[in-house]
Amino acid sequence: MSTSSSAPDTSAPALEMKAVRKVYRMGDADIIALDHASLTVQHDEIVALVGPSGSGKTTLCSIAGGILGATEGRVVVAGDDITDYDAKQLTKFRQERVGFVFQSVNLVPFLTARENLLVVDELGRRTGAAARARADQLLEELGLADRRNNLPSQLSGGQRQRVAIGRALMNEPRLVLFDEPTSALDTQLGEQVMELIRNEMKSRGTAAIVVTHDERITHFCDRSVHIVDGHLDAA
Amino acid sequence: MKLALRELVRRPGRFATATVILTLIAVLLMFLGGLLDGLIRESTGAIRAQSGDLIVYSDTAQASFLRSRIEPDTRATVDAVDGVERTGGIGVVQLGARVPGNGPRDLASVALFGYEIAPDGVPDVPADGQAWADDILKADGVEVGDELLLGPARSPVTVAGFVSDTPYNSQGSLWASPATWRTVLTANRPDAQLADDVFQSLIVEVAPGADVGDVATAIDAATGDTETFTIDDAINAIPGVEEQQGTFNQIIGVTVVIGLVVIALFFALLTVERTGLYGVLKALGARSGTIFAGVVAQAVAVTLVAAVVAGGLALLLDAVIPPGSIPLLVTPTRIVTSTVLLLVAAIVGCAFSLRRVLRVDPASAIGSGS
Amino acid sequence: MFLALKEMTRAKARFGLLIAAIALLVFLILFQQSLQNGLLTSFVGGIRNQSAPVLVYSVDGQRILQGSIITPDLEALVESAPGVGEVGAIHQGTFTVTSADGAFDASLLGYADPALGAPTTIVEGRLAESLDEVVASSADAESGFDIGDVVRVEPGGLELTVVGLADQAQINAGPTLYGTVDTFLDALRAQNPDAGTPLPNVLGVAPADGTTVDEVVASINAQSDELDAFTKDDAADATPGVAQVRQSFQVIFLLYGLVIPCVTGLFFLIVTFQKAGALTLLRAIGAPAGRLVASLLIQAVLIVGLGYLIGTLLYTPVSQLRLGGIPLEFETAAVITWAIVLMALGLLSSLVAARRVLAIDPVQATTGAGVGR
Repeated sequence: MSTSSSAPDTSAPALEMKAVRKVYRMGDADIIALDHASLTVQHDEIVALVGPSGSGKTTLCSIAGGILGATEGRVVVAGDDITDYDAKQLTKFRQERVGFVFQSVNLVPFLTARENLLVVDELGRRTGAAARARADQLLEELGLADRRNNLPSQLSGGQRQRVAIGRALMNEPRLVLFDEPTSALDTQLGEQVMELIRNEMKSRGTAAIVVTHDERITHFCDRSVHIVDGHLDAA
Repeated sequence: MKLALRELVRRPGRFATATVILTLIAVLLMFLGGLLDGLIRESTGAIRAQSGDLIVYSDTAQASFLRSRIEPDTRATVDAVDGVERTGGIGVVQLGARVPGNGPRDLASVALFGYEIAPDGVPDVPADGQAWADDILKADGVEVGDELLLGPARSPVTVAGFVSDTPYNSQGSLWASPATWRTVLTANRPDAQLADDVFQSLIVEVAPGADVGDVATAIDAATGDTETFTIDDAINAIPGVEEQQGTFNQIIGVTVVIGLVVIALFFALLTVERTGLYGVLKALGARSGTIFAGVVAQAVAVTLVAAVVAGGLALLLDAVIPPGSIPLLVTPTRIVTSTVLLLVAAIVGCAFSLRRVLRVDPASAIGSGS
Repeated sequence: MFLALKEMTRAKARFGLLIAAIALLVFLILFQQSLQNGLLTSFVGGIRNQSAPVLVYSVDGQRILQGSIITPDLEALVESAPGVGEVGAIHQGTFTVTSADGAFDASLLGYADPALGAPTTIVEGRLAESLDEVVASSADAESGFDIGDVVRVEPGGLELTVVGLADQAQINAGPTLYGTVDTFLDALRAQNPDAGTPLPNVLGVAPADGTTVDEVVASINAQSDELDAFTKDDAADATPGVAQVRQSFQVIFLLYGLVIPCVTGLFFLIVTFQKAGALTLLRAIGAPAGRLVASLLIQAVLIVGLGYLIGTLLYTPVSQLRLGGIPLEFETAAVITWAIVLMALGLLSSLVAARRVLAIDPVQATTGAGVGR
């Protein structure tokens, strides 16, 4: 498959979206979630995507991460043009190229913190010992070394979010997508998590998009992009 | 409680599979029970129908008519025992009967009884050469007025009418006069023929007020070579009856346990799914008892629906199965006892979910994302 | 494997309950399989496992050995039927026989020709060679009918020595003894000195060269409406009660067989529904749907396999028991057949849940539509 064969181009932009349109059909009406959105994220850039709920920010994020296909336009992630990928190729792409931190369900409830990281490797490359070493290292960096054998139900909200960040970094992605990573946390904890995200991204030189409706956390990002009714407006 | 039942009505789909499984298990219980009842009925009917209190066999007969032999002087001794009101001779011969209109090899299995005291549901002794037929013989095409030819000697016996629930050894019985029985026995089983006034067994009616057990002991003591049974003991003494009951009841027991495990599993899973809802309910002030009562109410309702459907299916099965094949007997008693067993299993099965209901923290309703 | 196993070890109680339910069902199915076969073997095993390929009853015998009587006229008709080779008389009677263990209702079979009526399943010892020798059903060896044991026919006290044991050779669910016609007549006369010479109960028939057993059966039956000829297997199946036992157990097996896939199907459906959130997440981070389905099927195989194993372990000691007069046996063929059938049904039933897994849209991970944490 082309995703695995193409050599990673480290200086290429992490994301290039050109004139992307996304239309949902609901009953008889077409709903335009994204309208000719163009966005480029540099290879080590952290971009805040800010907008009210229903503005299309989650849709944009899903298209950038290969969960949704665009109706029109072009999507290139770290040099790979995923515009015409089929479902199987997209699955493989998500497995190998991007990291996700979702808003609600982020961890598999019946797996421990460490296993939630390892599952990424299990589903993909299966490197075994290398993956275990990486998972342990990530948990150490995230301050979760003593929590690695706990189930999600035994962790606090902040700890769970940190495990999710670790999980998103397991496959050494070029782009990590954060969907409202702080919405379930209080202000103080939210800021701690954002700081952690910034440090982790910058130390690795990994690009990230942080979707939020909370203007207070945008200063952790390099720049903010606003989205209203499917239209992007680079501020 | 209301909430729980409303959930059942509004979302029957999620309970459908569990109901289907319980229905299958209920059908199994009723079928197994019905089979046991049918087998027991077919092998015990003739003895169960006896209106007397005691049956006297010779002591070497192992409670079998065919091996028993009561001489006239033994009968006189029994008649003289205190507490014996009346005795009646009885004997049986098992033969193949040729039914008019059936093929030459298509014989009906019959047990021809000669009797003096009429069993329950059997009229008084018919004229010589006639017999009352058990209605399971209808399955062999026997009709009132038919002349049946019994055994290799083709001894003729005319059907005078039908009686119910009197089969012997899974064979349709014919109830005739002692003289008719003796004639047929002599003609077809010369090796087993008995002199006039000799019977295989005696049916004893005990005088009002006398203790049945004491009279039985007194009879055996007086004759010295008989073994006397109450009707119930005689039924249990039929070879295989106790084994059948024991085996079937064990199978039924394990099947009930399976029902219990299935219900436990289903409601345990359902309760896990509803933890959030229970948190909200508790936050609104519902007690654990109320919530658990709702779970039990759902289990009982599901089980009742399953039992009603299964009862209908069992009755249908009983009606569809041709007489003479599977000896199934579905009675209301069996349907009700199976239902009660399953209900108990359902309630016990629910108890597995109790712990989880108790553990739900009302605080979980506030703060958690869902 | 990873996901499937981890989930099972983290939710031992629910998977344990399911395995227990399947184990109990398997136990019951196998036990009843043994019961059915034991029941049939103890009533007609002796008919199946004797040497005469064709048995001829009188119609009045209603396919019961003891009830049938072959008169000389009937015997002549059989001997003159086209295609009949050898004909040998077989006698059968029920006697009270005492062994070291007490008194039993035993069946005694006497054959005129060892090629037409002797047991074919001798597992130890040999056939009877003299008047006071018999072969006994091996199921009763421990009841004082073992090789070298002397048993007495009562009343009369005729002593017979057991010189061989035959497997699955019972009739009427009790000790069954095989000797020559003369041994049978001795026993009969010992019991009743006035017995005279009784008529044979059935005839064993071997077809003439170039004739099949089915042709001989047809040719004998064509001779007279008084004759009822069967191949030995058909004779066993035509014995009163055999068909009823089979039909009853078929219904029972069908019902139990339906319960198992329903239980596993329901279980996986609910479990899949419950962990829809986790499955959606896994799909979103790049788990191929096939992998998740494979994980589900692995669980189904493990659960049915474990349940089957435990059920078989429960069944093994029970299959060595005797129920009343019926010796049970470990039914290897049934164990294998049911393993295949139940595994197939279990997998099939989990496909309903698999369809649900395949229908999961990873985009739901971004909308928080999943349940759970």
